[in-house]
Amino acid sequence: MLTLSLFLNGIVLGLVYAAVALGFSLVLGVSGVINFAHSITFTFGAYFFWAMYKHVGYLPAMLLAPAAVAVIGFFVERLVIRRVYGQDPLFGLLITLGFAMGMEELIRMVFGPATHNVDAPSFANGVIIFGNFLYSQYRLFIALVAAIMVAAVWLFTEKSRYGTVVKAGMFNSEMVGALGHDLYKMRIWILVLGSFIAGLAGILAAPIWSVKSGMGSSILMPSFLIVLMGGLGSIPGTLVAGLMVGITLSMGVLVAPRFVDIMPYILMGLIVYFWPRGLMGQQNIIE
Amino acid sequence: MRKTIFICLLGTLALFFAPWAATSQAQEPIKIGVISPVSGNYGDHGALERAGMEMALAELGGKILGRPVELVVADSETNADTAGRRVRAFIEVDGIKLLMGAVNSSVAMAVAAVATERQVLYIATNGNSDELTSSKATRYMFRVAPSMASLGRAAGTYAIENLGKRWFFLTHDYSWGHSGTRWAKDVLTKNGGTEVGEVKFPMGTRDFSAQLLQVRDSDADVLMITAAGFDNVALMKQLAEYKIHDKMKVVYTLQEFVDIYPLQPQEHRGYYATEVSWDENDQLKAASEKFHQQYPKAASPVFDNGNYNGYVAIMALAEAIEKAGTADDVEKIIAALEGLEITKNLRDKPTYVDPRTHQFLSKVVMVEGNPQGSGSDIWKIIRTYDATQFDMTPEENPIDLTKK
Repeated sequence: MLTLSLFLNGIVLGLVYAAVALGFSLVLGVSGVINFAHSITFTFGAYFFWAMYKHVGYLPAMLLAPAAVAVIGFFVERLVIRRVYGQDPLFGLLITLGFAMGMEELIRMVFGPATHNVDAPSFANGVIIFGNFLYSQYRLFIALVAAIMVAAVWLFTEKSRYGTVVKAGMFNSEMVGALGHDLYKMRIWILVLGSFIAGLAGILAAPIWSVKSGMGSSILMPSFLIVLMGGLGSIPGTLVAGLMVGITLSMGVLVAPRFVDIMPYILMGLIVYFWPRGLMGQQNIIE
Repeated sequence: MRKTIFICLLGTLALFFAPWAATSQAQEPIKIGVISPVSGNYGDHGALERAGMEMALAELGGKILGRPVELVVADSETNADTAGRRVRAFIEVDGIKLLMGAVNSSVAMAVAAVATERQVLYIATNGNSDELTSSKATRYMFRVAPSMASLGRAAGTYAIENLGKRWFFLTHDYSWGHSGTRWAKDVLTKNGGTEVGEVKFPMGTRDFSAQLLQVRDSDADVLMITAAGFDNVALMKQLAEYKIHDKMKVVYTLQEFVDIYPLQPQEHRGYYATEVSWDENDQLKAASEKFHQQYPKAASPVFDNGNYNGYVAIMALAEAIEKAGTADDVEKIIAALEGLEITKNLRDKPTYVDPRTHQFLSKVVMVEGNPQGSGSDIWKIIRTYDATQFDMTPEENPIDLTKK
């Protein structure tokens, strides 16, 4: 019974991890930038949401806060990220990491160092009980939102015309540019979309973790890991890798609870050893 | 003749200037170097200990031994290396011989190392690690906050007597977390209780769903937790999310008011060992009220552990300096501190400074979270213990600082 409930818990966790990594994967795939500012957009999402949800209501704030984060994403692209397109990926990593650290201190200055509390929405603030099995409604709610996010992004890249161009840009950006598509514009929109998704993920995490300036740093490594495992820019790959990480973390507690945080790294090592481009990766922009 | 006049003149001059010289020496301020986090994630904890120090100093009229006192603050950034560097500057540039502060043990150890090397006094305020008064103890360091031995055994004793005998442990996987669990287990085994299980979770854990599903699956009646920081805030929220409180009693080996204050009412349920509770007695209630008036924007609305330890550190230093009759001779102040009974400690019984370990011994308290309360009423005191009965015994901690 415990094994089964931990497995189901792993799937829920995995969906959330996939959603968190999604924006990171998209930006890396399309622009070739290892965007460590992803963590700060996650934090901004949580803070904006905390600041507004009691005034405008839960669901409106779930749209408005990520929208505000998306605006920030737009400026991040204009001011920071566009300087490193086409350069060694390390430049992008360093400049975005530095930017994220500066922003984290700014958040502390504006909102203070204290931890802030966010309530779970009233419609999902309970538990579901089947006999001995108990599960939090809020977790199921965030798994649902995460699944919708992943599905929406997948539909966008696979089924829409613009998505096809975006996908083509991941594999051969020069050719896509030569065919007359405005690559710069595309990269802006992908960063805006990535920021929106990260902001929304921050909101989902807020009632479970509470809101603090350093909260974003704890999603950076899992995101990076999932992208490497799943394959750059691959939405199904991100989903599969996210689920693998979630299930490993959840089930790992049964086997060796002290070492659960190392297990995803071991998993990544194995995957990258056998599939250097990740599970579903193909030749891509940064090669 | 000439010589006599010259001597008289010199004598007059000397007499004229003597009182000036004496007063100028008496009026030279006593500088206390405070190493405390100002920025960063623990900035609000640092602010509490500094507020406690300032309140104590104000009560002393800003003076010790007739000399004005100056608190010189340096930001530790909660980083051991930074703290060590700043403390060196205190000693070498400002000529400071009296140090206090640090909200966590790793910073305290770094400061103690420098203090020992340069032979200056250091009073560690808020670190709880057992090492500070055992393996890392030094003649130049004193520690105000109770050890984890005192806190863990207080929590354990309360739990075994009142809550149940089948315990599950949830332990933060680093030395501080291990020691909390170790001392609680000590009580459990000595009283014939049963350990149902233990999960150690790494630092930086944000999601406890898997651990809590396992806890729920056990038949424990007590969940004994040692966890701190942002991880603990997430854990407390998830304890409520997974309705752990409905299945078993939740006990913490250490909890601070400032950490549970931002939580939702239903999330601060449980029994916590802590260092001080604002509702212990009238003196503490008055101090708490005064603190809230003077520092309305502080992260805690009541006199918390940080405040109390900062307050007692200043009072201890003042009483030791008065007793030694000097603020400049570190060795004499150390001798005065050893075995000192600090009376201005806001409690009915003085705080005793154990000369063997340099541990301050007063009380540890048990509080119960109040899920209906808000503001200062989110917990209430249920029991006080004498810290002396729970601190490490000479067999458990053979260090003896009285032997040179």
